[in-house]
Formats: sequence, C-alpha cells, structure tokens
Amino acid sequence: MNEQTLSRRFFLKVSGAFVALAAVPSTVHAFYQDVKSFLVPPKETLPTTLTINKQPYKVTADTRSTLLDLLREELQLTGTKKGCDHGQCGACTVHVDGQRVLSCLTLTAMLPGKTVTTIEGLADGEKLHPMQQAFIECDGFQCGYCTPGQIMSAVACVNEGHTKSVAEIKEFMSGNLCRCGAYNGIVEAIQKVAK
Amino acid sequence: MEFFDNELSTLMPAEGRVEAIAKVTGKGKYAAEYTVPGVCYAVLVTSSIPAGTIKAIQVDKAKRATGVIDILYHQNKPVVPGFADETKIRESRVGLPVFYTDKIYFKGQPIALVVAESLEEATYAASLITADYTAEVFNVDFVKTHPSIPLKAAGKERGTVDEWSNAIHIVEAEYTIKEEVHNPMEMHATIAEWVGDNKVKLYEKTQGVNSVQRVISGLFSIPRENVEVISEFVGGGFGSGLRVWSNTLMAVMASLQVKRPVKLMLTRPQMFSLVGYRPESWQKIKLGADSSGKFSGMIHQAKHTTSVFENFNENITRIARLVYDFKNLKTESAIVPLNLGTPTWMRGPGDCTGDFAIESAIDELSYKLNEDPIALRLKNIALKNDPESGKPWSTHFIDECLEQGATKINWKNRKQTPGQVTEGDWQIGYGMAIGMWTSGRTQASASIVLDKSGTIIVRTAMTDIGTGTGTAMQNLAHESLGMPKNKIKVELGNSNLPPAPSQGGSTGLASLGGAVMDAATLLKQKLATYAAAINAQYKDAAAADILLSENGISYKQANAQFISYADLWKKVDEPTIEAEATSAPGEERQQFAFCSSAAHFCIVRVHSKTGKVKVDRMVCVADGGKIINEKPAANQVSGAAVGGIGMALMEEQQADVKFGSLLGNDLAGYHFAVNADAPIIEVSFIDKPDPNINQMGSKGLGEVGIIGCAAAIANAIYNATGKRLRNLPITPDKVLLG
Repeated sequence: MNEQTLSRRFFLKVSGAFVALAAVPSTVHAFYQDVKSFLVPPKETLPTTLTINKQPYKVTADTRSTLLDLLREELQLTGTKKGCDHGQCGACTVHVDGQRVLSCLTLTAMLPGKTVTTIEGLADGEKLHPMQQAFIECDGFQCGYCTPGQIMSAVACVNEGHTKSVAEIKEFMSGNLCRCGAYNGIVEAIQKVAK
Repeated sequence: MEFFDNELSTLMPAEGRVEAIAKVTGKGKYAAEYTVPGVCYAVLVTSSIPAGTIKAIQVDKAKRATGVIDILYHQNKPVVPGFADETKIRESRVGLPVFYTDKIYFKGQPIALVVAESLEEATYAASLITADYTAEVFNVDFVKTHPSIPLKAAGKERGTVDEWSNAIHIVEAEYTIKEEVHNPMEMHATIAEWVGDNKVKLYEKTQGVNSVQRVISGLFSIPRENVEVISEFVGGGFGSGLRVWSNTLMAVMASLQVKRPVKLMLTRPQMFSLVGYRPESWQKIKLGADSSGKFSGMIHQAKHTTSVFENFNENITRIARLVYDFKNLKTESAIVPLNLGTPTWMRGPGDCTGDFAIESAIDELSYKLNEDPIALRLKNIALKNDPESGKPWSTHFIDECLEQGATKINWKNRKQTPGQVTEGDWQIGYGMAIGMWTSGRTQASASIVLDKSGTIIVRTAMTDIGTGTGTAMQNLAHESLGMPKNKIKVELGNSNLPPAPSQGGSTGLASLGGAVMDAATLLKQKLATYAAAINAQYKDAAAADILLSENGISYKQANAQFISYADLWKKVDEPTIEAEATSAPGEERQQFAFCSSAAHFCIVRVHSKTGKVKVDRMVCVADGGKIINEKPAANQVSGAAVGGIGMALMEEQQADVKFGSLLGNDLAGYHFAVNADAPIIEVSFIDKPDPNINQMGSKGLGEVGIIGCAAAIANAIYNATGKRLRNLPITPDKVLLG
C-alpha cells in the first residue's frame, strides 16, 4: 500500500514538475518567436578584394550579393547576363581563376583574392578574342543575350579540349541555353577556333 | 551604347551583323542595363492562392527592412487614370488591372511590389510580406474542363459535311498539345523614370516601342509623345514581348510613387506566369479522301485555354483554311477559361498548333492510301489560289520547297512501311510536313540621314529582337544608295525615331524594307537637287541614276559627274540631309493573296528500350520571297526548327490541379532544346522575289521555320516505330506506352 501511495505521490510530483517545466519553455519559446518576428536583421556588408578583368577591385558588398549582381548592378559590367539566377541557363558564365563558373551561384563573399574574367575582359583592347570574331563570322547568335555566356563557355570548352566532334561540342555547350536556337553558329564558331 | 558601334565599326567583318560587336563584347545595352542615376530596385510579391480575394496584406515587417523605400499594393498605389473604374479598365484592354483590384485570378499574380535601394534589399523585404485571403474555388484542369465547353463555328463552312461523310478513306483522331512558355533568355524588364509631371521614359524589353508608348500614354492620360520608350537591344521575344504586361505598368507606377527611377526585372519563375504562353490545346480532325487520294473534306475542331479575366483566341483552325484545297471544310473552336495567366501569341501562333494535327492526319492518311506523303500533299495543296479568299497567290513555292527538301534528305531512302530500319536498339524513320503563314505587311516608317562626316544613318522605331532587322536596313540602304556598308549606321528601337509596327507575325522586314528603300530614293532626289546647283546634269536625274560613295555622289555610273560631299555641303544650309518615308500595303492586297511557306524533313532515331527520340537530321526549305540577309535569315529559320524540336519532344507546362501551381516554374522544371538536343539544322531558301508584296520582294520568315516542324518529327517517329503519337510533347514514356 505504502509503496503504492509513495508511488502515486512520486508520480504526481514528477508529472507536476514536468508540466511546470514544459510550461516555462513554451512561453519563452513563444516570446522568442514574437521577438524574432518583430526583429528584421539589418543588412550586413563585407569588404572583399578581388581582380576583375585585370583590374584590382576593393568592394564592400552586401553579404547576400552574388557575383552576377555585383557585376551588373554595382560595377556596371552588364555584359554578364542574368537569364535565370538559378544556375540553369549559363547566361551568367564568367571565368574565375581560368575555370568557367556560374556567377549567379557565386557569392561575392566567396571571392577574396580570386581572379575574374568577364566578357568585357576577353578582347585585347580593340582586338577581339578569336572566339568573339568567330561568333561574328559564324553568326553564332540572334538576340545576343546568351552570347557573352556562350562565348565564355566556348573559350573554356576549347581550353578543356572538348571539341573533338560536333557531338562533343554540343554536349559540353549544353549548359548554355539559347532560346533563339542559334546552335548551328555556336558549334561552327567553336570548331573554327579549335582548329 | 548605340545599336551600331561607332568606335569599333572598322573592325567589323563585312559578313557580320550590324550590331555584332556590341553583342559579342557585352557592350550592347538591354533594358535593365542602362545606367540611370538614382535608380532603385523593385521586386514583386505574388499571390500564393489561385483564386479569391485579398483580405489583408502585412507589410509592416518589410517596411522595417534596410533600404526599403515604399511598398505598393492595392491599398497603396498612385493614381492611374486608365484604371479609374470598371469601364475604363475594360476599355484599357491591358488585361490585369494590377493593384487596382483585390481579386486573385491565378497563382503568381502580383499583389505587392517592394521598392528598395538595392536588389538584395528589395528581394529580402519582399520575402517578409504575407497576405490573408478569402480563397475561392479554382480550376486549372483543361483536360477535365474542355469537354463541357461547347464548340462554335470558326469561320464560314465550305460545302457540307454530308457530301463526303461516306468517303472511301477517313482518318479521325484527337490531338493534344501541352502548354508551352516563350522564355526568351532576357527576362522581361523595365527601367521607368518620370521626368517631370507628365513625361515618362522607359528602357523596356518589348517587341514594339510604339505599342508600349500607346498603352502607357492611354493608361496614364499623358500625350503619346511624352512617353519615350527605348529598346535598342532585345533579348528575344517569340511573342511574349508583343503585349504590355503588368510588370511594365508596375515599374511605371512605382516610379511615379517614389519619384525616382525604378528598375523591375522579372525573375525566371515569374516569366512562367506573367508574360503569356502558348495555351494547352485539344483538337479533333476528321479527314476524308477519295480513292485517288484527293481530299473530299475535313472537320477541324479545336479548344485551348485562356484566363478567367481575359479572352484570348489564337485561332487554331485558321491554317485549315490556308494550305489545302478543301471543297468541304468545317472548322469549330472554343476557349476554356482557367485560373492561369492570359496566354498570348507564341511563334507561329495558332497555325503551329493546328498544323501539327492536320499534318499528322494527312501522314496517317498517306499510309492508309499506301501513297508517298509528298505526292499526297502535292495532289491537294492549293498552289494557285488562296482557298479562303479565292484570290491568286502572288507567289507560292511550296512545291519547290518539297522537291528540294526531298532531294536534300534523300527521301527516296525512306521505307513506306514503318518499323523497317533498325540499328541496334534504335529504330530509324523519315518524316515530313509543311507549314504556311500569311505574309502580312503593315505601315512602317524609316528615315535616312547623311551627315557632314559622310556617314549614312538609317533610322526606325522598329526593334530588332535577333531577327536581323538592323542588318537588313543596312543591306537595303547599301543596295539602294551604293554607299559602302561600313559607312552606314543603324539606329532603331526608340520611340523618338520614325514610327513602325512591333516586330512580330513575320511582318517586320516586309513592312519596314519598303520604307527604307523609299527613304533612299527621297534622299537621292534631295541630293540631286543640291547637286544640280553645281552640275546641271543632275537636274533631271532619276533617283535610280544617282550613286553614293564614301566621298561623294555620281550620276549614272561610278565616278561619272562626281561631286564631292565637301562641295555639296557648300550648297546646303542644314546640318544634315534627311529623308523620311512611310510605306504601307496598297491595291496589291485587293488583287493577290500572300503567303510564306516551308517544308520540314527529318530523320529520327527512336530507342526501343528507353523511348528516347533523337533527331538525326532536320532539313528545312523555306519560301520567304527574296532573302535580304542570308546568314541571319538561315539562322532564324534553323532557330525556329530548334523551337520545333522542343515543341515536339520536351516543352511541357503543367498545372497542379490540386493547388493551382505551375509545375514548370524554372528552366529545370521546363525544358526547351539545348545544344545537344538539336542536330545541325540544314536550311535553304527558294529565294525568289515576290513581285507584288513590297519593293524588295521579301515575305516573312519567322513563323514558317517552326510551323511544320513538330508534325515532321511525329511523322518520322511513326515511320520509325509504327506508333502514331498524337499528344505533344512526345516524351519517352509516351513512346514506350504508345
């Protein structure tokens, strides 16, 4: 009997304590949620030093800023295009340390010390890069919006050595969408430069 | 940057486009890329339900975010006179009266617009906005709904159905095509800036600056000339840029509200719901033929989606009245309102859809008759007269397109019995189809200016969306004047320039070319008048006898009676010599009917285990009259065929019937053809001038490159496998289950 009573008492005490404990954190939690919903985190910036088209840049960018938005909205380098902002179309392709990279999936904060080349940095002064020249001669574009990304990828495609056949070029250029469908000229231009 | 690059012009290879350097160097400015001092950024918040009413919008939290300037929504917006009441909204014909309604018609409808100092700030603040709705019943299910919507006559019935109901050969089948979305690579964007109380300047992604000007001036009750629209570089359109959509209106409203220039670029997901699409469709064809293979009659029925707030009818059965000589023809159609954005014209609108069904049915008939599908078509094509109006075609060379295409693809190697050719697990087949489009022409203006540096500038308000309009203007001016091409600049895509129609419906060059040539004639006449003061020989000179060169003008032949520009300018008081001309269709439209056409031939391989379809070869022979720029023209047609491959095999937008959301919401969820999906497209032209359409003899090209393409692929799949697939896109699952 005693055991049973003790046991009941023990049960009541313990469960009471649990109820009390449960009540406190839930109030705190709700309070925390209230505060959180009221507070809006302020913008944060981060100074970053990087090289773009052989020029040193010291930028203080919003920590949320992508390389693409930095180029287009802050530095007026609008040759790099925004086609999806999701890494699905290739229009924003630039070179980072010589590799093709999607600038919409690259935060500026990831780039200290890196070397970026955009379409504006491809020509040697007024002398066009052979790939730019080939795109003109082969009419490798129509509206021209995907073109800077196509050219940056095309240069990388040649450097990577993926130009052994039409099929290989097509495969390795399939991350760069062209809604005008100017694929004939794009392939032809790459073949011309790869020779 | 100007359309034509001044600084780099001498480096341009002769065969390149006029704007080529601007495009390959990234210097050409598209709408969102102009530097406008003081610009702020707008980001949209869209509805999370597909139908209902907004009860409340919570913007307080967003207002406290860094950099936020203002938030527009239905309870905080500037006065738009064109949206003052229900009648005015209807009359404005802009579709969605954005911020002037609390009604939700589709998921993704704009409900608020955050304006902030930077794009990141506006994007973050937009994520903090929430809304309460009273939800209502919605419907996005075309397949379930369309049977309950009755068909109505679409055009006058020819003959009777009774006359051929007991035809010897009948093909009767239903066809469906899923919704397709334009998705030009440049997302729709606007920078709007009010300069003064009743003047606004827009850098705009559009296919027609004058149409934007008209809509904005009407809505905001300001004179048309007070709306300046600049669209020098346009990153594709395919029809989505033919209308003024809510994003443009919101940018103009926001700029008015915050009294600063505002930039609004849609996100890719927003491109799927806010700027139109090719509607999902259902069709039924009943086609009859006699024992000789002559068509005895056709019934063509079609239905497609529209929005619940606007009627859009793209006239799918129009092409039934255009191509073949049907003595008996009945066409019926209906539109099905759903809780989706409004559809709009997309490359080859209506005809592309209708043609797929008709050309598939004819292919099916050819197997029933055991007759070559080319021969069957040639027997029935209305080659002499437009079957609808009875007028003679001015020119029509579809027969030659068929002949050339068949030779190019080695049609004689095709097996008449399907499923005969295999290569390992691949089945190989040949297919073909034809497409047509009426060649339109509308009024357009252009001017040509000679300046004191000896440079020619050709101007028009028309845009160049990648079609090569600017290059054609340069070519035409060069041909008419004799001036070397590197001395001819082009300015276009600006509402301050001579007015022109939108770039669309395959009418751009056909409309504008005449104006350029007329302006060239006028300019030469003006020059002759000035020259006559120096050399009397020029007094009665016909414009055709005047030639311009880099240094001066001559009479009848190069260097004869030469007068240098330096001498000429001594007789001229003006700073420039300018001639403007307007050209428009005339009497010839009463006498003749006009059309462009194309024949598509392809070889496909179909994998018997996976159902994958690969287009091995695609040949397109097109009749677009005289070709002005061969390279860009071929590029345009091959690009259209790439679009056709997408339509046939992969492009598919679906709506989630339970939640009303779009499943294809980005470029991972909605596929169009990438480089590896298309073979090298083989394009050629008949290239014979049409003597009646305009001064150049050029007909339109933009649409015919896609129209027959999907049917040619489906027909080739049948030839390869014996499976008749009537529902687009033909994805591997449909091939395996077919």
